[in-house]
Amino acid sequence: MVSRSDLQQITPYEWEIPVSHRPDMRVPVRLFASEELLQEITRDKSLEQAVNAATLPGLASAVLVMPDMHQGYGFPIGGVAATRYPEGVISPGGIGYDINCGVRLLASRLLYQEAKPHLEDLATALNQFCPSGVGTGGRQRFSLRETGEVCRNGSQWARRKGFASDQDLRRTEEGGRISGADPRYISPRAWQRGSSQVGSLGAGNHFIEIDLVESVFDPEAARVMGLQEGYLALQIHCGSRGLGHQVCSDYVKSLQSAVDRYGIQLPDRALVCAPMDTPEGEAYLSAMACAANYAFANRQVLSHQAREAFESVLAGRVKNWGLSLVYDVAHNIGKIETHSIGGKEIEVCVHRKGATRAFGPGAEDLPSEYGKIGQPVLVPGSMGTSSWVLRGTEGAMRRSLGSCCHGAGRVMSRSKAKKTIRGEDLRASLEKKGITIRAGSMAGLAEEAPAAYKDVDVVVDTVVQAGIAAPVARLKPLVVIKG
Amino acid sequence: MNTNSSGFEEVAHTADLEIRAWGKDLNSLFRAAADGMFHLSGIEEYEEGFSAIREEISLNAMDFEGLLILFLEELLYRLTEDYMLFDIKKLTINDNFSLKAKLRGNQIKSYQRDIKAVTYHRLNIKKSRDGYSVNIVFDI
Repeated sequence: MVSRSDLQQITPYEWEIPVSHRPDMRVPVRLFASEELLQEITRDKSLEQAVNAATLPGLASAVLVMPDMHQGYGFPIGGVAATRYPEGVISPGGIGYDINCGVRLLASRLLYQEAKPHLEDLATALNQFCPSGVGTGGRQRFSLRETGEVCRNGSQWARRKGFASDQDLRRTEEGGRISGADPRYISPRAWQRGSSQVGSLGAGNHFIEIDLVESVFDPEAARVMGLQEGYLALQIHCGSRGLGHQVCSDYVKSLQSAVDRYGIQLPDRALVCAPMDTPEGEAYLSAMACAANYAFANRQVLSHQAREAFESVLAGRVKNWGLSLVYDVAHNIGKIETHSIGGKEIEVCVHRKGATRAFGPGAEDLPSEYGKIGQPVLVPGSMGTSSWVLRGTEGAMRRSLGSCCHGAGRVMSRSKAKKTIRGEDLRASLEKKGITIRAGSMAGLAEEAPAAYKDVDVVVDTVVQAGIAAPVARLKPLVVIKG
Repeated sequence: MNTNSSGFEEVAHTADLEIRAWGKDLNSLFRAAADGMFHLSGIEEYEEGFSAIREEISLNAMDFEGLLILFLEELLYRLTEDYMLFDIKKLTINDNFSLKAKLRGNQIKSYQRDIKAVTYHRLNIKKSRDGYSVNIVFDI
């Protein structure tokens, strides 16, 4: 176990576990946390998992962990690790089973007062138009050939199908399409699972939310993003569904033997990896890109369906409700990026597992409108609590590999949450707060209770104080759709 | 199924789900792990049905941990994709890390929870005087 005394304070919000902590560490672990959050972080095994990640071959800088960190499998959730490209390793477990799980935010032109009478209908329509829940697929099944196109082209496929606008693509990380996707590296089972799930939300912590833009802290950045106090916004959180899960399972399995072939010693088999310049590493990179593109397309189709849901309720009642994409960002992914590390520009594969890209002003891959303000960073809170819109900073480029936190972060196990919180009670208390809920399962609802998570405001305050993001707006939930 | 000599229990995990399974031999350990996984999926009863089908599977791995993952993944895939719940009628585990299983499957209408994957996290089948035990983390 890593304890509080193993941590060296660097700044009030940055801590380090030095390489001397364990003989097999190759780089230090850097942790962004307030004193308050540190108490919670040291309670589970997440820091030990970060130390394990710091043993991977080819790491170019410290393994970073964000303040929303918690225990995962292999890597901690909230972990960021950059390995030298192409000789360093890529680890499927450092990206996660839900490849390109991510969030997008859409801004509406609907004033809360104007929309209030329609919120119940909007909740029902979103629930109908956006299939969600355990084992629920999308509205149509695609042929394997078409699913291959989804994997190759991501949101560009969606645009060809009429599900996306040019602006949607421009405001999606990587334009909604990661290059190098080669469907030949996807197993028949992954195809099978993927063909029926495009445009479906899934279950677990995935959600669609209608939010109120409650407070704006940076009027200029908010204006550029299209966010205005008193207006509604929409968030969609989901990933690559069964296709992504299958890709990760397939490669975690096949890389078990690669580790021996390349003489890699690991403290945990969940960290299996292969150098990116080997056939195994290249195969996983191609397969991961397929799943990432599938996820971009999935969120795009869900956006299209959400727009249809709004239209079905509001047409003829409200003049212009908008729903333009603010940004779509991945938080489980490996990306080839160039970062300035130790005074040198180095090409690395940044593994972000439960961490969001947060590029500062002037970074490549940002649409021109965000060039000056930096990338929108979306930090959804736990169900029923605030979500935050931040923007990436120069500080993030210097100190956190252009990365930031991705949410509130769990503190309570699902079994404990289910034992201590009844879904029906939670629903009643959320409805009392004026939040409309549509949930597939009451037990599932209880597991996602706010009490099972850290306080998102404290997490956001930490990244802001640490200088790796700046606040733009806070959102308050009005309608929550969960599988 | 949950007797002293074999069984499973849920272990607290912050974000995912974890079980500890145990059995007097590998055969009962594998069966207990499958029971545990189905329990987490929200399926507790093996119902007799008219649509029962019979299947045989053969799996090979590099070690028993890998074999356990393959076995659970196989059952999980058929559950989530085909809504098929399998009862393990006969299971033979060989020393060369291979297994053969005779399964009888029943169509189910629904299950309560999507399990994304069976992970290798700290996976280690432990042998003691009383038999075998293992902790398995499921990503959900």
